[in-house]
Amino acid sequence: MVSLNSVLLISFALFSIGVAGVLIRRNALVILMCVELMLNAANLNFIAFARHSGSASGQAFALLVMGFAAAEVAVGLALVVALYRRRDTVQVDDINLLKG
Amino acid sequence: MEHLLETLGRNMFGIFGLLALAGAAFMVTARSAVHSVLAFLFTMLCVAGCFLSLEAEFLGVAQILVYAGGIVVLFLFVVMLVEISKFKQKARLEVFQNQSRVAIVAVLAGVAAFAGVFRNAIFGKASPDALVLRPELARGLDVAKQNAQAVSRGLFADYLLPFEILSVILLVALVGAVVLAKSERV
Repeated sequence: MVSLNSVLLISFALFSIGVAGVLIRRNALVILMCVELMLNAANLNFIAFARHSGSASGQAFALLVMGFAAAEVAVGLALVVALYRRRDTVQVDDINLLKG
Repeated sequence: MEHLLETLGRNMFGIFGLLALAGAAFMVTARSAVHSVLAFLFTMLCVAGCFLSLEAEFLGVAQILVYAGGIVVLFLFVVMLVEISKFKQKARLEVFQNQSRVAIVAVLAGVAAFAGVFRNAIFGKASPDALVLRPELARGLDVAKQNAQAVSRGLFADYLLPFEILSVILLVALVGAVVLAKSERV
């Protein structure tokens, strides 16, 4: 039997790895993947609590989050491609036009 | 042998969860973006395994379809489009940011704060029964038996408005992606 705590711990660890990846990586693609990882950790929590309370609402919401994640990836990758066309780079620290 | 298989079956969630954590750690630390994408694929499959072991069958299969079938392929296309040609000219490419150490310390401080706040709930012995997943509740609602039916009832009866809003958002994202990614001269 899976305890709710172990699900929460694993999802928390996944979320922390995602946050750390967003903060430390330079490649914009990897940063997008880390954001996806954080959304998945949230989904894991949704499903754990849906299972815990015995209703399917949490699973329905997890499905909605999955759709939002797909939309976010589409826009994010289009931004990366546009950035590469214009500046020939996908490293986020090369994009410093607004830096004072 | 049977005993081993039984133990494996009982701990399926833990196994998939730890594999997902390992994949995520490799994804963050890998130098090459292609390796990162492959580790991302592995992590998403392990998370799908977690969903399946939590008896969310429909979501587990949807996770495999959406992530392994769609998003990872999209990422791989963009990596191939972006990475190869002009990147290699730069002599040295730093993988991590300059403020990496500060960021790691900040994340660890966040983890410590979380552990401090929830120490009693997670490691203490306070009300262990309340925090164990209860299969009899799930059985009462037939969540495990007819998972897709239960999810669709939640999605199309209780949360119809968010579902419709999601469809509009997907349309906007589609148009936005086309506008952003099309070349200038069209």
